[in-house]
Amino acid sequence: MMKVLRSFQPTWDGLMASESRRDLILAAMIRVVGSKGYKETSVADVIEEAGTSRTTFYKHFEDKHECFLAAYEMLVEQVFAEVTSNCDGAESWLQRVENGLATIVKLFALDPELARTAVVEVAAAGAEARQLHWNAVARFTEYLEGGRELSDGRELPENISLMSAGAVSGLIFDELLAGRAAQLPALLPDLLFAMLVPYIGPRAAAEEMRRVAATT
Amino acid sequence: MPAARGQKRERWRPPRGRHRLPPEVIARSQRERLLEAAIRIVAEKGYAATTVADLTREAGISRTTFYAMFDDKEACFLAAYDNVAEALVRRISLAYEAEEGWPRRARAGLAALLEALAEEPAVARLALVDVGAAGPAAQRRYRAALQRLTPFFDEGRDFAPDGRNLPANTSRMAIGAVAGLISDELTEGRAEYLPKLLSEVLFATLVPYIGPAAAAREVGEKD
Repeated sequence: MMKVLRSFQPTWDGLMASESRRDLILAAMIRVVGSKGYKETSVADVIEEAGTSRTTFYKHFEDKHECFLAAYEMLVEQVFAEVTSNCDGAESWLQRVENGLATIVKLFALDPELARTAVVEVAAAGAEARQLHWNAVARFTEYLEGGRELSDGRELPENISLMSAGAVSGLIFDELLAGRAAQLPALLPDLLFAMLVPYIGPRAAAEEMRRVAATT
Repeated sequence: MPAARGQKRERWRPPRGRHRLPPEVIARSQRERLLEAAIRIVAEKGYAATTVADLTREAGISRTTFYAMFDDKEACFLAAYDNVAEALVRRISLAYEAEEGWPRRARAGLAALLEALAEEPAVARLALVDVGAAGPAAQRRYRAALQRLTPFFDEGRDFAPDGRNLPANTSRMAIGAVAGLISDELTEGRAEYLPKLLSEVLFATLVPYIGPAAAAREVGEKD
Protein backbone atom coordinates (compact mmCIF):
# COMPACT_ATOMS: atom_id res chain seq x y z
CA MET A 1 0.00 0.00 0.00
CA MET A 2 2.83 2.37 0.80
CA LYS A 3 4.94 1.29 -2.14
CA VAL A 4 5.16 4.82 -3.56
CA LEU A 5 6.71 6.15 -0.40
CA ARG A 6 9.55 3.67 -0.26
CA SER A 7 11.59 5.75 -2.59
CA PHE A 8 11.28 8.81 -0.39
CA GLN A 9 13.58 9.59 2.51
CA PRO A 10 11.67 9.51 5.79
CA THR A 11 12.40 13.20 6.35
CA TRP A 12 10.60 14.15 3.14
CA ASP A 13 7.57 12.26 4.20
CA GLY A 14 5.57 14.97 5.88
CA LEU A 15 6.31 17.83 3.50
CA MET A 16 6.93 17.15 -0.13
CA ALA A 17 5.47 13.68 -0.19
CA SER A 18 2.16 14.94 1.12
CA GLU A 19 1.79 17.19 -1.92
CA SER A 20 2.89 14.52 -4.36
CA ARG A 21 0.64 11.92 -2.77
CA ARG A 22 -2.26 14.28 -3.30
CA ASP A 23 -1.31 14.51 -6.98
CA LEU A 24 -1.06 10.73 -7.19
CA ILE A 25 -4.58 10.46 -5.87
CA LEU A 26 -5.86 13.05 -8.35
CA ALA A 27 -4.21 11.28 -11.28
CA ALA A 28 -5.62 7.96 -10.08
CA MET A 29 -9.09 9.47 -9.83
CA ILE A 30 -8.94 10.62 -13.47
CA ARG A 31 -7.82 7.17 -14.65
CA VAL A 32 -10.29 5.15 -12.63
CA VAL A 33 -13.28 7.34 -13.52
CA GLY A 34 -12.26 7.18 -17.17
CA SER A 35 -12.26 3.40 -17.16
CA LYS A 36 -15.02 2.50 -14.68
CA GLY A 37 -17.32 5.49 -14.88
CA TYR A 38 -17.91 8.07 -12.16
CA LYS A 39 -20.82 6.35 -10.49
CA GLU A 40 -19.08 2.99 -10.28
CA THR A 41 -15.85 4.48 -8.92
CA SER A 42 -15.26 4.10 -5.18
CA VAL A 43 -12.67 5.66 -2.90
CA ALA A 44 -11.27 2.15 -2.47
CA ASP A 45 -10.65 1.93 -6.24
CA VAL A 46 -8.88 5.27 -6.26
CA ILE A 47 -6.52 4.57 -3.35
CA GLU A 48 -5.71 1.17 -4.77
CA GLU A 49 -4.80 2.77 -8.10
CA ALA A 50 -2.84 5.53 -6.36
CA GLY A 51 -1.10 3.15 -3.96
CA THR A 52 -1.96 5.31 -0.97
CA SER A 53 -3.83 4.65 2.23
CA ARG A 54 -7.41 5.49 3.07
CA THR A 55 -6.09 7.80 5.79
CA THR A 56 -4.05 9.73 3.26
CA PHE A 57 -7.07 10.08 1.03
CA TYR A 58 -9.26 11.48 3.76
CA LYS A 59 -6.49 13.77 4.96
CA HIS A 60 -6.72 15.54 1.61
CA PHE A 61 -10.34 15.12 0.62
CA GLU A 62 -13.72 15.07 2.27
CA ASP A 63 -15.08 12.45 -0.13
CA LYS A 64 -15.01 11.07 -3.67
CA HIS A 65 -16.87 14.07 -5.06
CA GLU A 66 -14.51 16.65 -3.62
CA CYS A 67 -11.55 14.66 -4.87
CA PHE A 68 -13.08 14.42 -8.33
CA LEU A 69 -13.60 18.19 -8.53
CA ALA A 70 -9.95 18.79 -7.61
CA ALA A 71 -8.85 16.16 -10.12
CA TYR A 72 -10.95 17.73 -12.82
CA GLU A 73 -9.46 21.16 -12.19
CA MET A 74 -6.00 19.67 -12.44
CA LEU A 75 -6.94 17.90 -15.68
CA VAL A 76 -8.20 21.13 -17.24
CA GLU A 77 -5.00 22.95 -16.28
CA GLN A 78 -2.88 20.19 -17.76
CA VAL A 79 -4.76 20.13 -21.04
CA PHE A 80 -4.59 23.91 -21.18
CA ALA A 81 -0.88 24.02 -20.54
CA GLU A 82 -0.38 21.51 -23.32
CA VAL A 83 -2.61 23.40 -25.75
CA THR A 84 -1.16 26.84 -25.09
CA SER A 85 2.42 25.59 -25.36
CA ASN A 86 1.58 24.32 -28.86
CA CYS A 87 -0.45 27.37 -29.88
CA ASP A 88 1.54 30.31 -28.65
CA GLY A 89 4.18 31.23 -31.14
CA ALA A 90 2.13 30.23 -34.18
CA GLU A 91 2.00 33.22 -36.46
CA SER A 92 -1.64 33.25 -37.51
CA TRP A 93 -4.95 32.66 -35.77
CA LEU A 94 -5.68 29.84 -38.17
CA GLN A 95 -2.42 28.11 -37.35
CA ARG A 96 -3.01 28.64 -33.64
CA VAL A 97 -6.46 27.05 -33.56
CA GLU A 98 -5.34 24.25 -35.83
CA ASN A 99 -2.44 23.49 -33.50
CA GLY A 100 -4.71 23.69 -30.49
CA LEU A 101 -7.22 21.31 -31.98
CA ALA A 102 -4.51 18.89 -33.06
CA THR A 103 -3.07 18.93 -29.55
CA ILE A 104 -6.38 18.08 -27.89
CA VAL A 105 -7.12 15.32 -30.38
CA LYS A 106 -3.70 13.77 -29.92
CA LEU A 107 -3.87 14.05 -26.15
CA PHE A 108 -7.28 12.37 -26.08
CA ALA A 109 -6.17 9.60 -28.45
CA LEU A 110 -3.09 8.86 -26.33
CA ASP A 111 -5.05 8.86 -23.09
CA PRO A 112 -8.61 7.63 -23.70
CA GLU A 113 -9.31 7.43 -19.97
CA LEU A 114 -8.42 11.06 -19.45
CA ALA A 115 -10.54 11.96 -22.48
CA ARG A 116 -13.54 10.05 -21.21
CA THR A 117 -13.29 11.65 -17.79
CA ALA A 118 -12.82 15.10 -19.31
CA VAL A 119 -15.73 15.00 -21.73
CA VAL A 120 -18.17 12.20 -20.90
CA GLU A 121 -17.98 11.15 -17.25
CA VAL A 122 -17.83 14.70 -15.90
CA ALA A 123 -21.54 14.95 -16.64
CA ALA A 124 -22.28 12.22 -14.11
CA ALA A 125 -20.39 13.97 -11.29
CA GLY A 126 -22.96 16.56 -10.36
CA ALA A 127 -23.82 20.16 -11.15
CA GLU A 128 -20.56 21.62 -9.86
CA ALA A 129 -18.52 19.31 -12.07
CA ARG A 130 -20.67 20.14 -15.08
CA GLN A 131 -20.03 23.80 -14.36
CA LEU A 132 -16.27 23.17 -14.34
CA HIS A 133 -16.60 21.43 -17.68
CA TRP A 134 -18.63 24.29 -19.06
CA ASN A 135 -16.08 26.83 -17.82
CA ALA A 136 -13.30 24.88 -19.51
CA VAL A 137 -15.19 24.85 -22.82
CA ALA A 138 -15.73 28.60 -22.45
CA ARG A 139 -12.00 29.08 -21.94
CA PHE A 140 -11.22 27.20 -25.13
CA THR A 141 -13.94 29.15 -26.87
CA GLU A 142 -12.22 32.44 -26.09
CA TYR A 143 -9.36 31.25 -28.23
CA LEU A 144 -11.69 31.24 -31.21
CA GLU A 145 -12.60 34.89 -30.93
CA GLY A 146 -9.64 35.83 -33.13
CA GLY A 147 -11.48 34.26 -36.07
CA ARG A 148 -13.47 37.45 -36.51
CA GLU A 149 -10.42 38.97 -38.18
CA LEU A 150 -10.86 36.55 -41.08
CA SER A 151 -14.39 37.65 -41.90
CA ASP A 152 -13.49 40.73 -44.05
CA GLY A 153 -15.20 43.10 -41.68
CA ARG A 154 -18.51 41.26 -42.01
CA GLU A 155 -20.64 41.44 -38.95
CA LEU A 156 -20.81 38.05 -37.30
CA PRO A 157 -23.16 36.96 -34.52
CA GLU A 158 -21.96 37.79 -31.03
CA ASN A 159 -21.77 34.18 -29.89
CA ILE A 160 -20.23 32.74 -33.02
CA SER A 161 -17.36 31.17 -31.06
CA LEU A 162 -19.93 29.19 -29.10
CA MET A 163 -21.24 27.75 -32.36
CA SER A 164 -17.75 26.62 -33.29
CA ALA A 165 -17.14 25.14 -29.87
CA GLY A 166 -20.52 23.39 -29.86
CA ALA A 167 -19.93 21.82 -33.27
CA VAL A 168 -16.43 20.63 -32.36
CA SER A 169 -17.27 19.32 -28.91
CA GLY A 170 -20.34 17.52 -30.26
CA LEU A 171 -18.22 15.55 -32.71
CA ILE A 172 -15.58 14.75 -30.08
CA PHE A 173 -18.24 13.75 -27.58
CA ASP A 174 -19.82 11.27 -29.99
CA GLU A 175 -16.48 9.61 -30.72
CA LEU A 176 -15.63 9.27 -27.03
CA LEU A 177 -19.07 8.04 -26.10
CA ALA A 178 -18.68 5.35 -28.75
CA GLY A 179 -15.26 4.40 -27.31
CA ARG A 180 -13.40 5.61 -30.38
CA ALA A 181 -10.81 7.90 -28.78
CA ALA A 182 -8.06 6.32 -30.87
CA GLN A 183 -9.83 7.39 -34.06
CA LEU A 184 -10.01 11.05 -33.07
CA PRO A 185 -6.89 12.16 -34.98
CA ALA A 186 -8.50 10.91 -38.19
CA LEU A 187 -11.36 13.28 -37.48
CA LEU A 188 -9.07 16.33 -37.32
CA PRO A 189 -9.92 17.62 -40.84
CA ASP A 190 -13.65 17.52 -40.06
CA LEU A 191 -13.11 19.16 -36.69
CA LEU A 192 -11.16 21.95 -38.33
CA PHE A 193 -13.94 22.46 -40.86
CA ALA A 194 -16.50 22.63 -38.05
CA MET A 195 -14.44 25.18 -36.18
CA LEU A 196 -13.72 27.45 -39.15
CA VAL A 197 -16.91 27.34 -41.14
CA PRO A 198 -18.92 29.97 -39.22
CA TYR A 199 -16.09 32.43 -39.79
CA ILE A 200 -14.94 31.72 -43.34
CA GLY A 201 -17.76 29.73 -44.94
CA PRO A 202 -17.87 26.20 -46.39
CA ARG A 203 -15.68 26.74 -49.45
CA ALA A 204 -12.65 28.14 -47.61
CA ALA A 205 -13.17 25.79 -44.66
CA ALA A 206 -13.28 22.79 -47.01
CA GLU A 207 -9.97 23.93 -48.50
CA GLU A 208 -8.38 23.96 -45.04
CA MET A 209 -9.93 20.58 -44.38
CA ARG A 210 -8.37 19.09 -47.50
CA ARG A 211 -5.01 20.70 -46.74
CA VAL A 212 -4.92 19.14 -43.25
CA ALA A 213 -6.19 15.81 -44.55
CA ALA A 214 -3.33 15.74 -47.04
CA THR A 215 -0.70 16.32 -44.33
CA THR A 216 -2.00 13.78 -41.81
CA MET B 1 -56.46 -4.50 -11.45
CA PRO B 2 -54.87 -1.93 -9.16
CA ALA B 3 -56.96 1.17 -8.58
CA ALA B 4 -55.28 4.53 -9.13
CA ARG B 5 -53.92 5.93 -5.91
CA GLY B 6 -52.93 9.47 -5.08
CA GLN B 7 -55.05 12.30 -6.42
CA LYS B 8 -52.50 15.07 -6.67
CA ARG B 9 -52.81 15.99 -10.34
CA GLU B 10 -56.00 16.75 -12.20
CA ARG B 11 -54.88 14.68 -15.19
CA TRP B 12 -57.34 12.20 -16.66
CA ARG B 13 -57.12 8.74 -15.25
CA PRO B 14 -59.35 5.70 -15.52
CA PRO B 15 -62.39 5.67 -13.23
CA ARG B 16 -61.75 4.02 -9.88
CA GLY B 17 -63.13 0.64 -8.92
CA ARG B 18 -64.72 -1.77 -11.34
CA HIS B 19 -64.96 -0.52 -14.88
CA ARG B 20 -64.95 -1.78 -18.40
CA LEU B 21 -61.85 -0.20 -19.83
CA PRO B 22 -59.72 -2.86 -21.49
CA PRO B 23 -56.61 -3.71 -19.45
CA GLU B 24 -54.25 -2.48 -22.16
CA VAL B 25 -55.88 0.97 -22.01
CA ILE B 26 -55.38 1.10 -18.26
CA ALA B 27 -51.78 -0.04 -18.64
CA ARG B 28 -51.04 2.55 -21.30
CA SER B 29 -52.48 5.34 -19.22
CA GLN B 30 -50.47 4.23 -16.20
CA ARG B 31 -47.35 4.09 -18.26
CA GLU B 32 -47.87 7.54 -19.71
CA ARG B 33 -48.62 8.94 -16.29
CA LEU B 34 -45.47 7.37 -14.94
CA LEU B 35 -43.29 8.68 -17.75
CA GLU B 36 -44.62 12.22 -17.32
CA ALA B 37 -44.12 12.00 -13.58
CA ALA B 38 -40.58 10.72 -14.04
CA ILE B 39 -39.52 13.66 -16.20
CA ARG B 40 -41.18 16.17 -13.88
CA ILE B 41 -39.64 14.77 -10.71
CA VAL B 42 -36.16 14.23 -12.08
CA ALA B 43 -36.22 17.78 -13.49
CA GLU B 44 -37.22 19.02 -10.03
CA LYS B 45 -35.09 16.89 -7.72
CA GLY B 46 -32.25 15.73 -9.90
CA TYR B 47 -31.71 12.16 -11.06
CA ALA B 48 -29.64 10.94 -8.13
CA ALA B 49 -32.08 12.18 -5.48
CA THR B 50 -35.13 10.69 -7.20
CA THR B 51 -36.36 7.34 -5.88
CA VAL B 52 -38.74 4.76 -7.31
CA ALA B 53 -41.04 5.65 -4.40
CA ASP B 54 -41.15 9.25 -5.62
CA LEU B 55 -42.14 8.05 -9.06
CA THR B 56 -44.89 5.70 -7.95
CA ARG B 57 -46.33 8.30 -5.55
CA GLU B 58 -46.39 11.02 -8.18
CA ALA B 59 -47.85 8.74 -10.83
CA GLY B 60 -50.37 7.22 -8.44
CA ILE B 61 -49.38 3.64 -9.17
CA SER B 62 -48.26 0.78 -7.00
CA ARG B 63 -44.72 -0.48 -6.68
CA THR B 64 -45.82 -3.77 -8.20
CA THR B 65 -47.20 -1.96 -11.24
CA PHE B 66 -43.94 -0.01 -11.55
CA TYR B 67 -41.80 -3.12 -11.56
CA ALA B 68 -44.15 -4.85 -13.98
CA MET B 69 -43.30 -2.07 -16.44
CA PHE B 70 -39.66 -1.28 -15.69
CA ASP B 71 -36.66 -3.03 -14.17
CA ASP B 72 -35.47 0.04 -12.29
CA LYS B 73 -35.37 3.80 -12.05
CA GLU B 74 -32.91 4.10 -14.92
CA ALA B 75 -35.03 2.09 -17.37
CA CYS B 76 -38.02 4.23 -16.47
CA PHE B 77 -36.07 7.45 -16.88
CA LEU B 78 -34.70 6.39 -20.27
CA ALA B 79 -38.21 5.63 -21.53
CA ALA B 80 -39.39 8.97 -20.18
CA TYR B 81 -36.50 10.70 -21.88
CA ASP B 82 -37.31 9.08 -25.22
CA ASN B 83 -40.89 10.25 -24.77
CA VAL B 84 -39.80 13.85 -24.38
CA ALA B 85 -37.42 13.61 -27.34
CA GLU B 86 -40.20 12.09 -29.43
CA ALA B 87 -42.57 14.93 -28.58
CA LEU B 88 -39.93 17.56 -29.39
CA VAL B 89 -39.05 15.98 -32.73
CA ARG B 90 -42.74 15.78 -33.63
CA ARG B 91 -43.22 19.46 -32.86
CA ILE B 92 -40.18 20.47 -34.86
CA SER B 93 -41.26 18.26 -37.73
CA LEU B 94 -44.78 19.73 -37.91
CA ALA B 95 -43.48 23.29 -38.05
CA TYR B 96 -40.74 22.37 -40.50
CA GLU B 97 -43.02 20.53 -42.92
CA ALA B 98 -45.50 23.41 -42.99
CA GLU B 99 -43.01 25.68 -44.78
CA GLU B 100 -41.47 25.79 -48.24
CA GLY B 101 -37.78 26.23 -48.96
CA TRP B 102 -35.04 25.00 -46.66
CA PRO B 103 -34.10 28.23 -44.85
CA ARG B 104 -37.75 28.97 -44.04
CA ARG B 105 -38.33 25.39 -43.00
CA ALA B 106 -35.28 25.49 -40.76
CA ARG B 107 -36.42 28.76 -39.23
CA ALA B 108 -39.87 27.35 -38.46
CA GLY B 109 -38.48 24.12 -37.00
CA LEU B 110 -35.99 25.93 -34.79
CA ALA B 111 -38.62 28.41 -33.61
CA ALA B 112 -40.84 25.49 -32.61
CA LEU B 113 -37.97 23.87 -30.72
CA LEU B 114 -37.08 27.05 -28.84
CA GLU B 115 -40.71 27.71 -27.91
CA ALA B 116 -41.20 24.16 -26.68
CA LEU B 117 -38.08 24.38 -24.52
CA ALA B 118 -39.03 27.80 -23.14
CA GLU B 119 -42.43 26.49 -22.09
CA GLU B 120 -40.86 23.99 -19.71
CA PRO B 121 -37.52 25.31 -18.46
CA ALA B 122 -36.90 22.52 -15.95
CA VAL B 123 -37.56 19.80 -18.51
CA ALA B 124 -35.46 21.65 -21.09
CA ARG B 125 -32.53 21.83 -18.72
CA LEU B 126 -32.86 18.17 -17.88
CA ALA B 127 -33.18 17.17 -21.54
CA LEU B 128 -30.14 19.07 -22.80
CA VAL B 129 -27.84 19.91 -19.89
CA ASP B 130 -28.34 17.63 -16.89
CA VAL B 131 -29.13 14.42 -18.76
CA GLY B 132 -25.58 13.15 -18.19
CA ALA B 133 -26.32 12.88 -14.48
CA ALA B 134 -28.30 9.75 -15.29
CA GLY B 135 -25.22 8.00 -16.69
CA PRO B 136 -23.76 7.01 -20.05
CA ALA B 137 -26.92 5.26 -21.28
CA ALA B 138 -28.84 8.51 -20.86
CA GLN B 139 -26.10 10.41 -22.64
CA ARG B 140 -26.42 8.01 -25.54
CA ARG B 141 -30.15 8.71 -25.66
CA TYR B 142 -29.39 12.41 -25.73
CA ARG B 143 -26.99 12.08 -28.66
CA ALA B 144 -29.41 9.74 -30.44
CA ALA B 145 -32.21 12.27 -29.98
CA LEU B 146 -30.03 14.97 -31.54
CA GLN B 147 -29.24 12.69 -34.46
CA ARG B 148 -32.94 12.36 -35.16
CA LEU B 149 -32.79 15.98 -36.29
CA THR B 150 -30.31 15.07 -39.03
CA PRO B 151 -32.83 14.92 -41.91
CA PHE B 152 -33.93 18.51 -41.24
CA PHE B 153 -30.36 19.72 -41.49
CA ASP B 154 -29.29 17.47 -44.33
CA GLU B 155 -31.76 19.13 -46.64
CA GLY B 156 -29.30 22.03 -46.54
CA ARG B 157 -26.98 19.95 -48.68
CA ASP B 158 -29.27 20.31 -51.69
CA PHE B 159 -29.67 23.99 -50.98
CA ALA B 160 -25.93 24.64 -50.61
CA PRO B 161 -24.11 25.90 -53.71
CA ASP B 162 -21.35 23.37 -53.11
CA GLY B 163 -23.24 20.71 -51.22
CA ARG B 164 -21.39 17.72 -52.60
CA ASN B 165 -18.06 18.93 -51.25
CA LEU B 166 -19.25 19.31 -47.68
CA PRO B 167 -17.96 16.82 -45.11
CA ALA B 168 -20.27 13.92 -44.34
CA ASN B 169 -20.48 15.19 -40.77
CA THR B 170 -21.92 18.60 -41.67
CA SER B 171 -25.35 18.01 -40.17
CA ARG B 172 -23.80 16.77 -36.93
CA MET B 173 -21.70 19.92 -36.77
CA ALA B 174 -24.70 22.18 -37.26
CA ILE B 175 -26.67 20.24 -34.67
CA GLY B 176 -23.75 20.52 -32.24
CA ALA B 177 -23.56 24.26 -32.78
CA VAL B 178 -27.29 24.67 -32.15
CA ALA B 179 -27.15 22.44 -29.07
CA GLY B 180 -24.18 24.44 -27.78
CA LEU B 181 -26.02 27.74 -28.07
CA ILE B 182 -29.15 26.40 -26.40
CA SER B 183 -27.25 24.59 -23.62
CA ASP B 184 -25.34 27.75 -22.82
CA GLU B 185 -28.58 29.67 -22.39
CA LEU B 186 -30.05 26.87 -20.25
CA THR B 187 -26.92 26.63 -18.11
CA GLU B 188 -27.23 30.34 -17.42
CA GLY B 189 -30.83 29.75 -16.29
CA ARG B 190 -32.27 31.75 -19.18
CA ALA B 191 -34.71 29.22 -20.64
CA GLU B 192 -37.49 31.76 -21.02
CA TYR B 193 -35.31 33.86 -23.33
CA LEU B 194 -34.68 30.97 -25.71
CA PRO B 195 -37.12 32.20 -28.39
CA LYS B 196 -34.92 35.32 -28.69
CA LEU B 197 -32.06 33.07 -29.69
CA LEU B 198 -33.73 32.24 -33.01
CA SER B 199 -31.45 34.44 -35.16
CA GLU B 200 -28.32 32.84 -33.72
CA VAL B 201 -29.47 29.24 -33.94
CA LEU B 202 -30.70 29.84 -37.47
CA PHE B 203 -27.33 31.32 -38.41
CA ALA B 204 -25.58 28.32 -36.84
CA THR B 205 -27.80 25.96 -38.84
CA LEU B 206 -27.32 27.68 -42.19
CA VAL B 207 -23.67 28.71 -41.98
CA PRO B 208 -21.91 25.38 -42.64
CA TYR B 209 -23.99 25.00 -45.81
CA ILE B 210 -24.11 28.50 -47.27
CA GLY B 211 -21.42 30.51 -45.42
CA PRO B 212 -21.65 33.53 -43.11
CA ALA B 213 -22.68 36.17 -45.67
CA ALA B 214 -25.60 34.22 -47.10
CA ALA B 215 -26.59 32.94 -43.65
CA ALA B 216 -26.72 36.49 -42.28
CA ARG B 217 -28.88 37.52 -45.25
CA GLU B 218 -31.33 34.67 -44.66
CA VAL B 219 -31.47 35.45 -40.95
CA GLY B 220 -32.26 39.09 -41.71
CA GLU B 221 -35.02 38.18 -44.17
CA LYS B 222 -37.86 37.99 -41.72
CA ASP B 223 -36.52 39.74 -38.62
